[in-house]
Formats: sequence, structure tokens, C-alpha cells
Amino acid sequence: MSLVLAADYRVPDFDHWWAALTDDLPRLPSLGAHHIVVYRSLEDASRVFVTIGFRERPPVDALLRSPVMFAWFDSAGVDELPPMFAGEVVEKFDLGSPARPAGPAAAAETVVVAAIVPVGELDRLRARVHTAADRIAASGVRRFWIYRALDDAAEVMILQEIATERQAEQWIRHPDAAAGFMAEAGVGAYPPLFVGRLVQTLEVPGT
Amino acid sequence: MYICLCLGVTTITVQHAIDAGARSTKQVAEACGAGSVCGRCGHTIRTMIEAASADPPASKPARLQRRWGRS
Repeated sequence: MSLVLAADYRVPDFDHWWAALTDDLPRLPSLGAHHIVVYRSLEDASRVFVTIGFRERPPVDALLRSPVMFAWFDSAGVDELPPMFAGEVVEKFDLGSPARPAGPAAAAETVVVAAIVPVGELDRLRARVHTAADRIAASGVRRFWIYRALDDAAEVMILQEIATERQAEQWIRHPDAAAGFMAEAGVGAYPPLFVGRLVQTLEVPGT
Repeated sequence: MYICLCLGVTTITVQHAIDAGARSTKQVAEACGAGSVCGRCGHTIRTMIEAASADPPASKPARLQRRWGRS
């Protein structure tokens, strides 16, 4: 069983942090990390959304308190540790149509909207998304991935890839009923909706 | 989500402590341990406390309070 950790936080100096990532990568195999995906906010250049993928599922508690994890934040200059999502992917909707533009230019246009939210019943959400798949795709959403939290049956992380920034803005302002969960972002400890672009997917060397 | 990385304390556990009356990071730490080691999760715990204080559970569940002032 795999595991994904995710966190939404701000780095004081993105360029410095990005350079430090190279130094951090060799430490990550000791945790069992396989890859890292980094997104940067469109609204706040210091805000990043980072997911770390693991092929196996190590004990989460031990993973989070490992010195490597703390060093990860220290090297980024992050003093206040963000809440960490820990979960597994349960649904991957690929909603892209065959006619959609492909290639680097289209990829550069793609916007990622990430939400970590409580949703109540996960099965109900999945059913709604299945039912609304055509409408969601027509809104420009290409991918709709749902991750279930390991520590809270009602908590999910949802990553949506949307074709353009304009469509993302429209989607956020006027979401389909199946995406009503976006209104719950920013609740309590949960981060506000993240809207950004992929910076890079990094394979952890030696894994 | 995991709030306290040192002890692996989750949102649910911290919220239970707040719902039971904890109104400071110290009280939360005493109740469930969160924030008692390195303290670097204190801002998140304070956010949760402030959210609970801003709108009592009688009118709306504390966990449903907006963190950034949205209503």
C-alpha cells in the first residue's frame, strides 16, 4: 500500500528553497520516499503545495517525527510547521477528452486546484463525481484525484487539474454541486483552497 | 491532518481537546500533548482555538469556522 504526504505552506525565499531541495533529496530515500511533486501558488509566490509519494506505507507517526522531515522544513526556513495530510489515493478520474490540446504548452497552462477538506461521506462524494463527470469535464477539469486521509475517515485531499487559469477561476467561483467541498477549504486547521501550477515532479534518487 | 508532528497528534484529537474546554496552547498540550515538544505547531493550534472561540459550537461546529475570515 502506498502513502502520500502533503502540506501547504509558505517558504520565505522560494529560489533558496528550490536550491536546497537538491540537497534534501538524497536524504529522502531513508524515509522510503519515491517522488516529490511541487506546486506554486498563482496568488502568493511564497506559497507552495508539496506532495511526497511513498511506494510502501511506513508508520506515519515515525515518518513525521523523523529528523529528516524536520530538516526538510528547516532547510526551507519554515519555522511554523504546517499540518500534514497523510493518505492514499482512492479515485483517479481522468476527464480529458481526446480532442484536448496536448504537449508542453498545454501543460504550462494547466492549473492545479488542491483542497484538503472534511467531506463527511467519501463514498457519497465519489458517487457525485461519477455522476457529474461530463459536467466537470466540460468545465475544463482534466483530472480529479481523491485521496483518503488515514487518520480521519471524513477527510480528503482532492487535486484537480484544470485546463486554463480562466477555467479554474470560473470553476472556483461557480463549481458544480459535486465540487461543493471547495467551499469547506480554509476551515479550522484546514488550508484555504490552493490554486497554482506544477513546478516539477522530482524522482527521489536511489529509489 | 497531523497537527503535531513530534507526537503524531491529529486534527481530531486537538479539536476534541478544544471542544472539552482547552483555550490556550498550554491547555491543549496538557490535554493531548500537541505542541508540547518543539512547539512549532503552535500557530495551527492557536488558529483552531480562535476559530472555536469566534463561533461557539451551539451555532456552528468549531471545525467549520473559517480560518481566514470567510463566513
